Amino acid sequence: MELIGLANYALFMGIFIGIYALLALGLNIQWGFAGLFNAGIAGFFAVGAYASAIVTGPAAEGRLGGFDMPFFVGWLMAMVAAALIAWPIGKICLRFRSDYLAIASIGVAEIIRLVVKSEPALTNGARGITSLPRPFGDLPYVQSQMAYLAIVAIVLLGAYSLVERQFNAPWGRMMRAIRDNELAARAMGKNIERRRLEAFIFGSALMGLGGALFAHFNRSITPEAIDPMVATFLVWIMLILGGSGNNRGAILGAAMVWIIWSMSEIATDQLPAEYAVKAKYIRLFLIGLMLQLVLRFRPEGLLPEPQRGKAVADSNRE
Amino acid sequence: MNSKALALVGGLMAATALAAAPAKADVKIGLLGGVSGPIAAMAPSMVEAAQLAISQVNAQGGILDGEQLVGVVGDSACNPQGGTDAATKAVNIEGVTAIVGPHCSGAVLAAAGSVTIPAGVVLVTPSGTSPEITGLDDNDTVFRTVPSDDYQGRALARTLKEQGYDKVAVAYINNDYGTGLANSFKSEFEAQGGEIAGYAAHEEGKASYRSNLAELSSGGAETLVIFDYGDGTGLTLLRQALENGFFTNFIGGDGMKSDAPIKELGAENLTTFFASSPVGEKSDALDTFNEAFKGAGGDPDAIFVTTSYDAAFLLALAVEKAGGDKAGVAAALREVSNGEGEAILPGEWEKAKKLIADGTAIDYKGAAGDQNFDEAGDVPGTYALFKVEGDAFAVVSEMK
Repeated sequence: MELIGLANYALFMGIFIGIYALLALGLNIQWGFAGLFNAGIAGFFAVGAYASAIVTGPAAEGRLGGFDMPFFVGWLMAMVAAALIAWPIGKICLRFRSDYLAIASIGVAEIIRLVVKSEPALTNGARGITSLPRPFGDLPYVQSQMAYLAIVAIVLLGAYSLVERQFNAPWGRMMRAIRDNELAARAMGKNIERRRLEAFIFGSALMGLGGALFAHFNRSITPEAIDPMVATFLVWIMLILGGSGNNRGAILGAAMVWIIWSMSEIATDQLPAEYAVKAKYIRLFLIGLMLQLVLRFRPEGLLPEPQRGKAVADSNRE
Repeated sequence: MNSKALALVGGLMAATALAAAPAKADVKIGLLGGVSGPIAAMAPSMVEAAQLAISQVNAQGGILDGEQLVGVVGDSACNPQGGTDAATKAVNIEGVTAIVGPHCSGAVLAAAGSVTIPAGVVLVTPSGTSPEITGLDDNDTVFRTVPSDDYQGRALARTLKEQGYDKVAVAYINNDYGTGLANSFKSEFEAQGGEIAGYAAHEEGKASYRSNLAELSSGGAETLVIFDYGDGTGLTLLRQALENGFFTNFIGGDGMKSDAPIKELGAENLTTFFASSPVGEKSDALDTFNEAFKGAGGDPDAIFVTTSYDAAFLLALAVEKAGGDKAGVAAALREVSNGEGEAILPGEWEKAKKLIADGTAIDYKGAAGDQNFDEAGDVPGTYALFKVEGDAFAVVSEMK
């Protein structure tokens, strides 16, 4: 093993962590701020990935595409498309309370997955869309990974600072008020339905952006990527572990979970060869165990939600 | 990413750097499979078959200067996320010379696009059948030992045209299988100068397809090509077409080569029915492999084990031929399986090694077929056209 190989692996992990951090940030807006239990992350991830793929991908016979737009237009379109899909879904489903919303959103994600698989004119069906442009993809291996990591980092930083700003703004306080005490918020004259819809749409747009970044990194998107295990539940674990309601927690959770997910395989590879195949399942077990431990011993996550105003209240009391 | 996360990455990286440092002399091949995920039941046998090839190499003198060939198993989880992760680790952490796998097409496309093509590592998938893999801009580093889904449709189109069918109608079931076959059949048949007089998808499980059939036959074709399942909707379709005399000739894809039509409709009514299907090509190579794999405790009838074995053995030959040079593996892979040279059967490592050392050209005859790659790195399948004879199917002609 050489140093350059390690660097490559670290760069790769950085890119994946960045992409997952975007998904976790999106979920944080929905669950952390607004208390919306969205279990259909994979659906919005897919909408974003395919929207960008269609806008930027090469032309193909019998399929929508060939617009040859630059990648950033595709990423913008991914956010717009995910938001547009989220709007009617939110309009209908957000009337449900927490666990009913979870069930409805799982259903929505499944519908999106099946549409993607069975509409060749739109998505090329089960074969997926390939030959997507990757920014700086023509550079040698290491450099192109570095460049992509830089882009992902910039996008993530931008998303983080915007979301953090919203969180500290009156909008964020209002969202938390709605989450914690809906009746009180309603009594204060807040339009709860509208605010929830806003949170749902913003969060979904970020998930769509994450999907687009993922598709262009791999230069391809296939229905196999819309696997609820890696595109929905892993993101939930990241947010819960990092600390829902805390944007830095969402990013830290993404980093922690992906590193454990990816590196645990290196650890299991040290086992004798006859266990090598079986040992792969330990990774799934580890993630589950980790979630159990966090929920048992630190339900607020590694970085809990900042309690602003608590310090003020404490000092007043003194 | 914040600084805490960075520090964490750094720490863990350092930890693994210390942990994983096997002997330098080994030559490593990545075996990426869908160990967890939807094909978890199939993956272990496929990995075992590839491991068999590796153990044969080691038992017969090892690779290069008597070094050990090591298979590094990675979990591609049958999705792009897992595929790229496993490929990155194999290429960068383990430093593999080449990769067998991943198993699922989506994982192959992603791993090739983001890892192996940029890194210039040869990838041979034993089970990624998506036609999209053919068109990858891969600098000749992506190969497969299993025919593309496209192949059967095209081969059938050429065969029919050759046998004098000029005008056909196509009915296909509306799923990946039917659509893929029908699309490739249509484009090849038209390219060969044939006429498609009717072309329609149908949903499965309906009681009557008479209106679909009437519409298809209105184009004036005498022959109906059916891409469907012979023990399902395809049977209903065939029965109703026969009963109402919509068409006189019927051709099916491999899904139609089922005993159900013969039992239900009677062989005497199926004299104009033909079906294409992959042939389990009887060869010495296959027998040799079956015996060896049984001896190693594997099930030779498990799916994709022959292609997995071939992929691993071919890569071992290519690495030997290239003298261990990573960049030369792709070219060497073509040289050891281009149909010219002394034939090498599965397991004949010692013989092959000697011939390579002497500079003699060799040609690997694999368990799953001759494995001669075309320009895109694909292999042709072995298909034949079958007719109904007595109560079973019999080969009419090979399909090219």
